[in-house]
Amino acid sequence: MSMTDVVGILVTTITLGSIYGLVAIGMTLIYGTLRILDMSQGSMVMAGSFIAWGVMAVAGWNPVIAILLAFAGTFVLGTLTQLVSVQPLLSRRNVVDFEMITFITTFAVALVFTNVALQVFGPYQKNVTPVISGGINIYNGVNLSYQALTMALVSVALMVGLGVFLARTRWGMAIRAVAQDLDAARLMGIPIGKLYPLTMGLASALAGIGGVFLGGLYFASPQAGDLPLLEALIVVIFGGLGSLPGTIYAAYAIGLIQGTAEIFVGTTWSLPILYGVILIVLIARPHGLLGKPAEARL
Amino acid sequence: MTRAPMSRLQPALAAVLVLTIAVFPLDHPTQYWLSVFVTAMILLLLNISWNFILGVAGVWNFGQLAIYGLGGYGAGLLMLHSPLPPWLAVLGGALGGAVISVLIAVPTLRLYGIYTSLLTFAFAEVIQYVILNDGTGLTGGSAGFPTAPGLFSALSPDAAMNAYYWTILVVVVLAMAAVAAITRSRLGMALRAVRDAPAYAAARGVSPLRLRMVAFAISGFLAGLAGALYLSFNQSISPSAMGLPPMSVDVTMFVIGGLGTMYGPLVGTALVTIVQTALVTHPGVQQTILGVFLLIVVVFVPGGLVGLVARTWRRVAEWADEDDDDEEEAADAAQQEGAEQHVA
Repeated sequence: MSMTDVVGILVTTITLGSIYGLVAIGMTLIYGTLRILDMSQGSMVMAGSFIAWGVMAVAGWNPVIAILLAFAGTFVLGTLTQLVSVQPLLSRRNVVDFEMITFITTFAVALVFTNVALQVFGPYQKNVTPVISGGINIYNGVNLSYQALTMALVSVALMVGLGVFLARTRWGMAIRAVAQDLDAARLMGIPIGKLYPLTMGLASALAGIGGVFLGGLYFASPQAGDLPLLEALIVVIFGGLGSLPGTIYAAYAIGLIQGTAEIFVGTTWSLPILYGVILIVLIARPHGLLGKPAEARL
Repeated sequence: MTRAPMSRLQPALAAVLVLTIAVFPLDHPTQYWLSVFVTAMILLLLNISWNFILGVAGVWNFGQLAIYGLGGYGAGLLMLHSPLPPWLAVLGGALGGAVISVLIAVPTLRLYGIYTSLLTFAFAEVIQYVILNDGTGLTGGSAGFPTAPGLFSALSPDAAMNAYYWTILVVVVLAMAAVAAITRSRLGMALRAVRDAPAYAAARGVSPLRLRMVAFAISGFLAGLAGALYLSFNQSISPSAMGLPPMSVDVTMFVIGGLGTMYGPLVGTALVTIVQTALVTHPGVQQTILGVFLLIVVVFVPGGLVGLVARTWRRVAEWADEDDDDEEEAADAAQQEGAEQHVA
């Protein structure tokens, strides 16, 4: 293994890990607070890509506007998703199958979003202008595009921002309180009816920003969210559902595994190898790296 | 003794339905309609298997399409590369499905609910991804499997269509009867017990591990069989038979019908097939409608349409028998309550 390989793997780890973390952390936030595995997060990535395409490629505006609009747009979509697919089911929250029902309803919402996108934008892939073009040669031919670098930086900034939000602000603390004990949180006067849509909107907005960057790396298409969803699922299983630190470690660990696999066995086998690793982790630790059975989440 | 009117009516209704479907080809419908029916019956077989593991056994397996696909590819490989007669190749695909299904069951044994669905869902996606990117030529990659002879390659196209129609009808009826019998047997009772109260069932000496393996084996066999029949009928299979779009259709089918009920897959498959056939020229609209429909049923009609019908029927029966209710009536109602399956 040459030095070039090592640098290449590190670059892949950091860029892939950051973007995985951004998409997966939303799923973790939702699962930790609402006990819902939100299958519509892939659609949010897709929506973010299309917003980026509309703002930058069609309207020709500034990338910063694209990011802000993607944040706002997917926040609204996420809130709507919550109101449609989760809110009516909350009275059945204590039924054993709540997680399964919401898995199916959010899946249904994703189905609707994908097909509405198919109707509106057609099946073809759209080229999204990169947020920033160019790149630097870091070491002996290993190229780091500014797009990937910006993506990593923005992702890390957002993750840190989310951490600060959860730790310091009133709403953040309210989210954590609900994650720890729903009934106690309600008794302290936390407005659940507003908190749930807020949480899901926030998580969706993170995935939407992920979509702006992923759209620049790949394309915007109705199916653009499928692979990010799968990767985010793998990350959240690996890290343990509902554990924020676990998700972030897992995102970079998965980036590392994928980067290594891509260099040594090629892109085709990186996903199956990843899956093999997940299998082994789950056989050894059924709740993922840092997951806990039911208590002490977030 | 007196049974609820619904349960006396059911065998008769089922017989009429099967007979109607069986004589349909005698009316000389177009090949298009026959193939719509055959495709729906193959999907029904898949949905029966999925409904069994998800609804009856309560294992959140969302990897069923991988088993279906692998059953198809397995049967195709046997047809092309082995001297076995085609029907043995189909059986081989089904057995392969059962074996792979049991193999997936092993890592899920220690997992709790949602983790099972994640692991199996990711398994299905990875299998599809591997086949899509397969460069060895064995599976044909994204272009689809090379043409396989199928079950009735000796017959003329019209005769082969009828042969497929009746063969698959027999298989589906047998599968439905077998699954219903298993669900009612001691094994099925144990499966439902583990689903509804795992700790209590285990305390009563039911082994959740062994049962989960058995459930995976049965449902894997049926899913593999469905895949092998799909390959035979279409003489090919491609990775697009797996993945998210077909999964959303199948999930819509058995959830709308009523998860865990005997007739749920039948009702759901029929209904969704009707919607799809009516909107065949507007695939996007079709899927959107299905998504909205799925959402509405899950949110507002827990238990699916079969559950809704059963509840309505019971209410009507109760209303009709309001005066002469005796203990037997109450026992019947309680029995039906138990028989009516768990809400999705």
